[in-house]
Amino acid sequence: MLLQTIVTGLSIGSIYALMAVGYSLVFSVLNFSNFAHGAIITLGAYVAWAIMVHFFRLPFIPALLLSVGGAGVLAFLNERIAYSTLRRRHAPSLYLMISAMGVAIALQNLLYATIGAKLYALPPVFAEDIVEVGEAAISKMDLFAFAFSFVAIALLHFVLTRTKVGTAIRAASYDMEMVAVLGVNLDVLVAVLFLIAGGLGGMAGVFMGIKYMVYPSMGWITNKAYIGAVIGGLGSLPGAIVGGILLGLLEALVSVTTIGSVHLSTYRDVFSFGILAILLIVRPTGLFGRMVEEKL
Amino acid sequence: MAYAQAIFTNSAIYIIAAIGLAILTGYTGLFSLGHAAFMALGAYTAGILTYFYHWPFVPALLMGVIVSVLVSLVVGYPTLRAKLRSDYFAIATLGFGEALKVILENLDITQGARGLPGIQKLADPFNTAVFMVLTVWLCRNFLRSTYGRKIIAIGQDPVAAEMIGIRLLPNQMLSLAISAAFAGLAGGLLAHYITFIQPAIFSMDLSSLLTAGVVCGGMGSLTGPLVATALFVVVPELFRGLALWRLVLYGVLLVVIMNLRPKGLYGHEELSLGNLPKLFIIIGLTVGLTIGTSLYNGYLAEWGEMPAMLLAAGAAIVVAVAISYVGRGSAWLLRPVLPRISTTWNRGFTRIVHLFDGVLAPGERMAQATASIDSRRHANTAASDKPLLRIQGLSKHFGGVVAVDGVDLDVWAGQVVGLIGPNGSGKTTVFNLTSGVYPIDSGSVMFDGKELVGQSPTSIVLGGISRTFQNIRLFSNMTVLENVQTALHTASDYSLVAALVQWPWTVWATEKRLRDAATGLLRMVDLAEYADRVAGTLPYGLQRKLEIARALALEPKLLLLDEPAAGMNPQESLELVELIRRIHKRTKLTIILIEHHMDVVMNLCGHIAVLNFGRKIAEGTPDDIQSNPLVLEAYLGKRAEHAALG
Repeated sequence: MLLQTIVTGLSIGSIYALMAVGYSLVFSVLNFSNFAHGAIITLGAYVAWAIMVHFFRLPFIPALLLSVGGAGVLAFLNERIAYSTLRRRHAPSLYLMISAMGVAIALQNLLYATIGAKLYALPPVFAEDIVEVGEAAISKMDLFAFAFSFVAIALLHFVLTRTKVGTAIRAASYDMEMVAVLGVNLDVLVAVLFLIAGGLGGMAGVFMGIKYMVYPSMGWITNKAYIGAVIGGLGSLPGAIVGGILLGLLEALVSVTTIGSVHLSTYRDVFSFGILAILLIVRPTGLFGRMVEEKL
Repeated sequence: MAYAQAIFTNSAIYIIAAIGLAILTGYTGLFSLGHAAFMALGAYTAGILTYFYHWPFVPALLMGVIVSVLVSLVVGYPTLRAKLRSDYFAIATLGFGEALKVILENLDITQGARGLPGIQKLADPFNTAVFMVLTVWLCRNFLRSTYGRKIIAIGQDPVAAEMIGIRLLPNQMLSLAISAAFAGLAGGLLAHYITFIQPAIFSMDLSSLLTAGVVCGGMGSLTGPLVATALFVVVPELFRGLALWRLVLYGVLLVVIMNLRPKGLYGHEELSLGNLPKLFIIIGLTVGLTIGTSLYNGYLAEWGEMPAMLLAAGAAIVVAVAISYVGRGSAWLLRPVLPRISTTWNRGFTRIVHLFDGVLAPGERMAQATASIDSRRHANTAASDKPLLRIQGLSKHFGGVVAVDGVDLDVWAGQVVGLIGPNGSGKTTVFNLTSGVYPIDSGSVMFDGKELVGQSPTSIVLGGISRTFQNIRLFSNMTVLENVQTALHTASDYSLVAALVQWPWTVWATEKRLRDAATGLLRMVDLAEYADRVAGTLPYGLQRKLEIARALALEPKLLLLDEPAAGMNPQESLELVELIRRIHKRTKLTIILIEHHMDVVMNLCGHIAVLNFGRKIAEGTPDDIQSNPLVLEAYLGKRAEHAALG
């Protein structure tokens, strides 16, 4: 029973981590909360639905790759349309947040207005999903999501530490102006950044769609990823991963707990919010956060 | 008619919430993503009290306001404590909205997702209108008080606000509380108007409506959000068939406004005789649209689609143009008398204020207040056998770089000390360490007999050290006078309640005193004639002077000037020297000055300390420094010992 809960927690946690990494990556460089990330994730899931169910019947792996690519491109367009002007104008981060929120509201409701509020299922990846380990029934999909997220994040780590673009991104997270002065084309850097963030988000969207359903407001699950990112320390990648997985695990554990006759699963979202509040009191920078000091 | 009343009441309710949000997001710069949650708190509290416990309407509303405020403080405290990170707050409000929804759906008393049907219909257009007017009045009063100015300052530049002694956390919490109070009020009214509430009403859609109202109306205005929110309630009513697209439109509007016109409809303006035509254009468009759609619906069956559409469009355009021309016309007619109206109004108002401070303000109290200001101003002159500022062994590393390395410096009361050195020698870091911006690695800073190490920047400022910045940091959307008035916050002592109702005996009297004091300071730096200009529009040199005036408003014992002459031409820097000399002469203020213009330093400073690579390499009178070989070497290199400095 416990093992089963832990696997479920790890799987949902790794999906949170995928989302949180994309969000944190953008935050670390551009220093604003990209609240449109959830909408991009949703669109990624819809892309998978379109090519796996609605139009073609492509198998899982090509569909996943296309969703990752599609969500990446959408995130890139999102930046071009909604943020690039503000970024070049050095607008306050409040403006970027509002613009991002605008994108989120517009895209989500665009889905409602066009495709509709109906819930769509994505076909399961495994015909036999459940493996029996001792007494626990473990979902192969959960293991698969965990493994795949892990690989994707490892790949991202490789890109960030071993490639030129990655080095530039890491440098930009300390000082974007300086990176520009050193001759890095910021537009290209930010484009790569959003392609990566959107791609990871698209992957998370597909896993979410398989695990639950595809529907316009599914992007609100990213709230959890934001909370995970803050728990780990905003702008820190290891923080986003640890925070996301930690939150997923804790939620899974809370979901199977009952106090008296009350099933805590009902109050799972309240619990996540409570963790956020307590953590911010105990450790305002999050687990791995660094405090940014402004130059005077 | 009933329909029009319903639209009016709905607009008024949302306007109350939007005005509250304008304080939080527009003025304070805190982005609340789940503001509808505070409306839900007010709605459920008030609704439950009248429904189950048969409370009267107004006490129930008040209870809703109180609950909303208390909860907002619980949510705000942990997130706002991490200062300069408004993202935490945004995410927390998002999470809070979700969490509250879950709680409301699962509690017995809120009857879960079914909600509370059959609440008494106690709100009507009249009492809602009264509450709306009250809201606008209270918020306007608040913004025109010391409390409001502090919040506006935080919204414009939190770092600069801290550096004039405004504490971020309590003021941001105050802003949040006020905004939650009005959201709670709006929620309570809504519950008793639509008579049925359920968690789904207080969804993201409602929060989006409020945010769109504030952003499109203008972040920094009350008129703007009021007008925009009314528009967002009225216009969608006309296009009910497109209800699904309404939210898409809000989203797109947020993006478009932020990218193309961040100041929205009104920017930092309020409704005035001068911008009357704008209001008429908005009203014209709304009325035109209303008439157009009703004509279209009326004639659709009879005339067919195309003619009805043409008629509707034609009528809409004619009405809109006609009304906007009425606005233009009246503005044109008013133009000759406009200045007279405003001066008469101002003069009348001033006369009333005078009436109060002369006849009604207790003379003793006024005298006391003035005396306390004077005593603080002259505290500088008290002689002492200890230095005012004693820096010992001050060190600071940034990673592997040693920025400041064991610096000692004594500054005596009344001195003007120059701090010079090549670029990157650690001068500004010494200022940042002294004023508490960076934590100190090791060393001690004694000021006026007290250790400063470990104190927050705001308490250091309030303890008597104020500063200016290398890169000017003014509240650039405020007027010149308001910049100084904001910094005079320590000299104001009226209560928040007095501020909210503009209690004449305390608020008017104090505000007049603050205005006079601010004008005096502006006169001291030769800026009196620019008092009503928006600070950001001043030329560079004058902005520097304004920053000095703002720093002086805090009645410091020690003033830190970080490159005041940077970017000035010789003429301007000469004027600046005169200005600083005058200030020093008049107030006997102790000053430390970082400067690269050697003529400025040699002219002003009786005592000079030289830094190089974070160490103090020389100290003494200007003559000593100019002939010191170490200094020459630091500035000019080893072989240039014969060249003269300055």
